[in-house]
Amino acid sequence: MTVASKVKQTLATLKGNQGTLRLYSLQTRDEETKLVYNEALETTGIIIDDLERRLQTLEYQEPQYKGN
Amino acid sequence: MQAWIQILLSSVTLFFLLLLLTRLMGKRNIARVTPFKFVSYIVAAVIAALMSLNLIPNLAFGFIALGVWVILPIALDYLSLKSKWIHELINGKETVLIKHGKIMEENLMQTRLTGEELLRELRYKNAFNLADVEFAVMEDTGDINVFLKADKKPVSSHDLGIKTAPLAEPQTVILDGNILNEPLSSLGFNREWLGIQLETIGVSLDNVFIGQVDSSGDLYLDLFDDTLQLPQPKVKEMLYANFEKIQADLTTFALETNNEAAKTMYSKNAKELDYIMRKLKPYLLR
Repeated sequence: MTVASKVKQTLATLKGNQGTLRLYSLQTRDEETKLVYNEALETTGIIIDDLERRLQTLEYQEPQYKGN
Repeated sequence: MQAWIQILLSSVTLFFLLLLLTRLMGKRNIARVTPFKFVSYIVAAVIAALMSLNLIPNLAFGFIALGVWVILPIALDYLSLKSKWIHELINGKETVLIKHGKIMEENLMQTRLTGEELLRELRYKNAFNLADVEFAVMEDTGDINVFLKADKKPVSSHDLGIKTAPLAEPQTVILDGNILNEPLSSLGFNREWLGIQLETIGVSLDNVFIGQVDSSGDLYLDLFDDTLQLPQPKVKEMLYANFEKIQADLTTFALETNNEAAKTMYSKNAKELDYIMRKLKPYLLR
């Protein structure tokens, strides 16, 4: 497994988590809970952006593994 | 008119009249009323019974007596709502039986409670050891309530310094295979949402005995068919576990890479994730 594909896997899990979190933040009736979920959503968004940028660099460096 | 018809008629009339009157007298728990209230209930009941059996020759007299014994307690209830003085006059005041862990013998004497009876009442409240009791009071209904010493009280999450997520009451949305619309819409869901949930779990509606939705929107089901093993809602635990995995991945990446900028990016994000996980923990794990 190359570095890029490992990062890709983590990114996929993170995106899945983001989706589940969003679902819960919509479902909950409690304002405080909603606030915590939204904060977590924001943080996961930032991490996803960072990882995607890193992935681009990695794929540029190892173009032979692109798409794996 | 034959006597038995008369008794039948008056009994049926009184049955419904008494039903109405007891509803008027309020829904106070009969085991937790003050002694006087209890007496007024009984007098009203006895008058009604005598009238129903035609033992009171003049029915009008019976109705007058019944009216007095029903209306006066209601009137006194309203008066005691308005005035604290009347409230104390009618219901009496609570009596402190144990203060600072010491039994107040005079007050015990005043309530005509023996030591054994006090101990029995304490045991009802799960206070087997007198040394554990800080404060005990006899309410005007005769109930004894106990306040335990601070170190003997059951521990709460506040004592442990653990943050817990606010949890509203769950709503029952399915009963006996029928969808209850009102609780469902009070949660902000509709029948379609419930249908999708049932389909994901893989059960049909008529197999569900009870379905409850908690405040976070997780559905718990009890089926008629108990041999069916249902997946219990574990989405939140999975979510938290996934976050833990991602956090570990990020830390590994930070250790493996030689690129300085990437290293700081990974470790910064790992730290941020750790922070947010600690905030999410009470909401996702419980």
